[in-house]
Amino acid sequence: MYQFNWRPVFDNFDLLLKGLGLAVAIALLSLTIGSLIGLAAAFGRTHGPPPLQCLTTAYVELVRNIPLLLIIYFVYFGLPLLGVSMLDNLWSFVLALALYAGAYLTEIFRAGIAGVGKGHIDAARSLGMTRLQVIRHITLPLMARVVLPSLGNTLISLFKDTSVASAIAVPELTYGAIRINVNTWRVIEVYLVVAALYLATCYAIAGSLRWIERRWAIVQ
Amino acid sequence: MAEQTSRRGFLRSSALGLGAGVTALAAAGCTGGVTATGPSANKLNEVLKRGTVIVGTGSTNPPWHFEDEKGDLQGFDIEMGRLLAKGLFDDPAKVQFVRQASDARVPNLQTGQVDVVFQFMTVTAQRAQLVAFSIPYYREGVGTLLRRDSAHAGALDLAKARKKIKVSILQNVYAEGLVHAAIPQAEVMQFDSVANAVLALDAGRVEAAAIDDSTVRWLVRQNPDKYKSGNYGWSPQTYAAAVRQGDPAWLNFVNTVLHESMTGVDFDAYASGFEKYFGVKLAPPPVGFPVEFGLRHT
Amino acid sequence: MPMILAGLPLILHGLLVTATISLAVLLLGTVLGIFGSLSLLYGANVLRWCVRIYVDVCRSIPHLVLIFAIFYGLPALGLQVPAIVAGILALGLFCGAHMSEIFRGGVESIPHGQMDAAKSIGLTFAQRLRHIIFPQALGRILPAWVNTAVEIVKSSSLVSLVSVVDLTMAIQQIVGRTREALLFYAVAAMLYFAINFTLSITGRRLERKLGHG
Repeated sequence: MYQFNWRPVFDNFDLLLKGLGLAVAIALLSLTIGSLIGLAAAFGRTHGPPPLQCLTTAYVELVRNIPLLLIIYFVYFGLPLLGVSMLDNLWSFVLALALYAGAYLTEIFRAGIAGVGKGHIDAARSLGMTRLQVIRHITLPLMARVVLPSLGNTLISLFKDTSVASAIAVPELTYGAIRINVNTWRVIEVYLVVAALYLATCYAIAGSLRWIERRWAIVQ
Repeated sequence: MAEQTSRRGFLRSSALGLGAGVTALAAAGCTGGVTATGPSANKLNEVLKRGTVIVGTGSTNPPWHFEDEKGDLQGFDIEMGRLLAKGLFDDPAKVQFVRQASDARVPNLQTGQVDVVFQFMTVTAQRAQLVAFSIPYYREGVGTLLRRDSAHAGALDLAKARKKIKVSILQNVYAEGLVHAAIPQAEVMQFDSVANAVLALDAGRVEAAAIDDSTVRWLVRQNPDKYKSGNYGWSPQTYAAAVRQGDPAWLNFVNTVLHESMTGVDFDAYASGFEKYFGVKLAPPPVGFPVEFGLRHT
Repeated sequence: MPMILAGLPLILHGLLVTATISLAVLLLGTVLGIFGSLSLLYGANVLRWCVRIYVDVCRSIPHLVLIFAIFYGLPALGLQVPAIVAGILALGLFCGAHMSEIFRGGVESIPHGQMDAAKSIGLTFAQRLRHIIFPQALGRILPAWVNTAVEIVKSSSLVSLVSVVDLTMAIQQIVGRTREALLFYAVAAMLYFAINFTLSITGRRLERKLGHG
């Protein structure tokens, strides 16, 4: 019969909380950087010249079909072997996750751009606004409310994906679990607590997003 | 009606046939398979009569037991198996290797599927309750692997370094304590596999990889232009062969073979394997007072 | 070029392991999904609550955490399973949760009018399932099923972190041996891309054949 012993887990709870905080921070950071990539790629796809369209399509199709772990390995192990080693393991992961997120966000933003009614754009152009002004004053604001739910879902996905950072020893929540495990072997207790932490945080993020969406809707 | 009768008749005759077949098989099995079961308190005679010795080993851990490009087994454990065959039959080829996973080492001995296990088996008290261990044929430990072009000379050098030293290690019980025992202020990065821990070293992500001492020696031997050893081993563990309990004659024979390979007539065979797989040239044991009793000579 | 040839056996072996794991997970997941969705749609309240909890929990924890939990947890409880089985079990549970939602959504999207009409002409539950629900749900389910399949192939790479030598682990070992990072990571990317792209294309073709847009 398995003897439960929660002591080692709660002795190291600060380790797990720090890891959780780092995971949330990484998710937010990757979402931000990924959004910049995604916006650029989405506009490149819809407004850009054919070569750029080709490039962004290739980026999106490639990244969406390969594992995140492979991208992480390439950035962390591969780049230095090819001579490029600027980033440490934390930033390597953030970059890898941002690239991964960017591919999904490109499609989200593309749908958002397409969703902006042609009527609005035509009216703005007839008033003499340049393409850039149209993007800044019409497309982006109208898009923002539409893509918000998808962005929220992406954030939750990214938060779960931070667990893969443990493969390159980034001290997030899953790595904390690994460290406690190898020293105390309280596997059941550790993973129950860690799962609960991920669960609670996912619900918290989802709840916050719903609150934000409701506020936004009211203001609009 | 006629259909039913014929179906019933067919079923009856086929049932009879099946029953006859099963009884025949059972009879054949009983007479044929006696030799494989039951403990044998004289394994030595059994092996000598058989003409080959069956050695349990693995196939995925260089330099101990691994496959070359042709799929043939090689490694230090394999060499030890061949030494045993030579001791039995004067022919190192009279050995049959059985590839087994790590968790089959004890069961395969207990059921008699293999005569002896050479599979980088660490001697522990728990295991000694289940199998009989031979004398040691290697002392394993944690070693440090460095890049050849590293500014540091070795592990002791790293311990004195000013900057924060990063060391990679396999996810392991007391991994951090292990590294800190040698390099107190190191930042320990635990990886899921030795391959990744070494790759982190290759990619310059860490200054040293703390991995098995024998793996360090093997990698340095294979790639002297890429790596160098940190010249520091700690956390000792003993590798020994294992045999089934309750057979003193067989255990004694295995011990004799190992002993003479490390200190006596078969030293050259042991030393050549040692150099081939660990890159270390062993000095022959000094002549005169038996070295195993520890007194130093001048 | 010769370097790829030297690494080819290991790469092919890894590819085989990845394919095997993905297939096993999809099979397990689809079976679990069928039971799960039927429970969610038609089951007793208790059953529905249990499946709902299962689905929600699986969708809120990372795949890697469940893989580790099963890989390390089962032996702690006395069950020795090979790493590959632990991986398939963990990913299968996830797949099952996803599939339950997908199948449920597919069935619920069928207009209720059809069910009422079917009941009124006297079709039994089994007949309704077979003639009304199944054919129509299939078309709606297929794109999501293919998406999940692609996600599973990608998630299968996580088993390399519990020492299963799949395609990702094989590539890591080769890169470690040869230092040809660009070449071999590109090879791995191409192989994963090939598998997933083929899955997507096949899915789209099947969709067209079934007549749903």
